[in-house]
Amino acid sequence: MTPVLRLLARRLGISLIVLVGVSMLIFGIARVIPGDPARIALGPNATAEQVDALRESLHLNEAIPVQYGYFVKDLLRGDLGTSLYTNRPVTQDIAQFLPATLELVLFAGILMVGIGLPLGIWSARYRGRWPDHVIRLVSLLGVSAPSFVWAVILMLLFAFFLPIFPIAGRISDIYEIERVTGFLLIDTLLAGNLAAFRDAFWHIVLPAFALAVSGIGQAARLTRANMVETYDKPYIEMAQAYGFRARRIARKYAFKPSLIPSLTIIGLDFAAMLGNAFLVEAVFAWPGLSRYGVAVILRKDLNAIIGTVLIISATFLIVNLIVDLLIAFLNPRIRYSQRGSS
Amino acid sequence: MRDVLRIEDLVLKFRGYTGVTEVLHGISLNIRAGERVALVGESGSGKSVTARIVLGQLQELRSAQVQGGLYFEEQDLNRLSRRQWHALRGTHMSMIFQDPTSSLNPVFTIGVQFTEVLRRRDPKLSKEAAAKRAGELLNSVSIHDHARVLNAYPFQLSGGMNQRVAIAMALANHPSLLIADEPGTALDVTVQAQTLHLMHDLVERTGTAVLFISHNLGVVREFADRIYVIYRGRIVEQGPTQAVFENPRHAYTRALMAAVPRITGGGVPEIQDMDGAFFDPLEVHGEDRP
Ligand SMILES: Nc1ncnc2c1ncn2[C@@H]1O[C@H](COP(=O)(O)OP(=O)(O)OP(=O)(O)O)[C@@H](O)[C@H]1O
Ligand SMILES: [Mg+2]
Repeated sequence: MTPVLRLLARRLGISLIVLVGVSMLIFGIARVIPGDPARIALGPNATAEQVDALRESLHLNEAIPVQYGYFVKDLLRGDLGTSLYTNRPVTQDIAQFLPATLELVLFAGILMVGIGLPLGIWSARYRGRWPDHVIRLVSLLGVSAPSFVWAVILMLLFAFFLPIFPIAGRISDIYEIERVTGFLLIDTLLAGNLAAFRDAFWHIVLPAFALAVSGIGQAARLTRANMVETYDKPYIEMAQAYGFRARRIARKYAFKPSLIPSLTIIGLDFAAMLGNAFLVEAVFAWPGLSRYGVAVILRKDLNAIIGTVLIISATFLIVNLIVDLLIAFLNPRIRYSQRGSS
Repeated sequence: MRDVLRIEDLVLKFRGYTGVTEVLHGISLNIRAGERVALVGESGSGKSVTARIVLGQLQELRSAQVQGGLYFEEQDLNRLSRRQWHALRGTHMSMIFQDPTSSLNPVFTIGVQFTEVLRRRDPKLSKEAAAKRAGELLNSVSIHDHARVLNAYPFQLSGGMNQRVAIAMALANHPSLLIADEPGTALDVTVQAQTLHLMHDLVERTGTAVLFISHNLGVVREFADRIYVIYRGRIVEQGPTQAVFENPRHAYTRALMAAVPRITGGGVPEIQDMDGAFFDPLEVHGEDRP
């Protein structure tokens, strides 16, 4: 087995354990917080018999470990139960709302990496000169406010006072797009509707940017810090003594060794955007998982709460896994850590 | 014989928060084609900054002020544009560093780095041609399993192996001047001696002039044709190696020779007593510079 496969196997194992842990935790917490889900679902006018029948069908009268057993049994069949809020299978609800959130987060992630890393490289290359000062100031500004604050500021500035971008939603009502992936930027292209694509793109820019601002700042600062350190390394002095072009050193020979230590944190920032997306979605009325999540928590809709938390945890773990693999791929020391097995 | 490098009255100052410090107080030296010249002195005396001035690197630092004549292959370096000077690096002049393993990039293979070096001279060189050329150059430093070495990362090779690679890279583009700043001091003594012999043979064969920076007098004696002794930013004694060793005239040179280098090979001689005589004027041995 190559070191990378071994790493992958170990990571998958750990992820599975984490998921089991998270599911137990959230399962327990959801059940001990006050309020009777059956009563909330049926409303104040339902009779005690009706409530009790629902409790019985949800196994709510059993001990919590027994309930968990039922949950796992269903989960293994891909069944997360039925939402008391929407009266549909939770998996179906998630399939409907998750793509909007993922699209937003992925778009923000691309902005974070696509803007943050070049800013960091630029800053380090011109360290101590004006581009560096400007970038450092801007990235400090970026990290100094949480994303929902940015969401409000950006919305006021660029959708309200200067109506450049739409103020809310994912796409204008006039477009009817057939749902294939649930990612509107992809589905509009699949439908061959460029006007709709442009409209969807215009809608996602502000919320994604608001979500990405602090990540951009963080990525720029981190990249700069690591690159400044790298610039003092003998191998960069050697590259300079050999007359490699400054731009090539910045983008290749200093960047790659600096990226490896930054990646873990950039990955965590990316995953953190999953959480921040809830607030940004609220500001921009983005029809993602957040509205659903908030609604089901308020209604103590047990199956939906657990389903939502699990899917977010799983996404989080997948992101971490990808980052770890990327690091292993970039860092030859990890790739060749096992002698004679390459 | 013509000079490959001539430095005249070189003064270097650094501007800092506490004011301006002068680090080099007007040093002059010359290296003729194919000649091996050593610059010897204790830590902080100004050896590495001299090398970085020749490469034009220190001038890019805003805190550094450099004055004095610099002539390389009959051209006045001070009159070259930054771009022209930059073009000389890695082609007409190259450099070997103290620790071969840390002076090679840890996340790129030797092959990638070698190709980059070869492309300094020949920007259009294909990957295959570069690998072939690198293979020939590795042969000349007695590395014969080219494919393995070119595909390896520096951490997968021994220090001695990396030093051979560094030597091969330094001579790859047929420079007329090689600056070796305490080469291999980080290696163990026997490996250092081996690689120095190798370098000695190669520069002799290719007729490459060398500015050899060191504080190890034993190594200098074997390697260099001529010696400059530098003390606190001043050349205090210069002359053919043999003459200087047989008859050191300057108080500082004598102290340097009396001090026993530490066994570690990197041996920085520790000179305890600061002597007023160390600031005596320059001693030039007869046969040096007519
Ligand atoms: N960038 C810089 N800014 C300020 N001072 C510097 C800088 N670079 C070097 N110096 C100073 O210049 C002096 C000479 O340094 P240099 O590196 O040339 O010493 P050296 O003779 O090579 O010593 P060593 O044997 O330890 O390598 C030292 O006092 C050092 O502190
Ligand atoms: Mg030095």
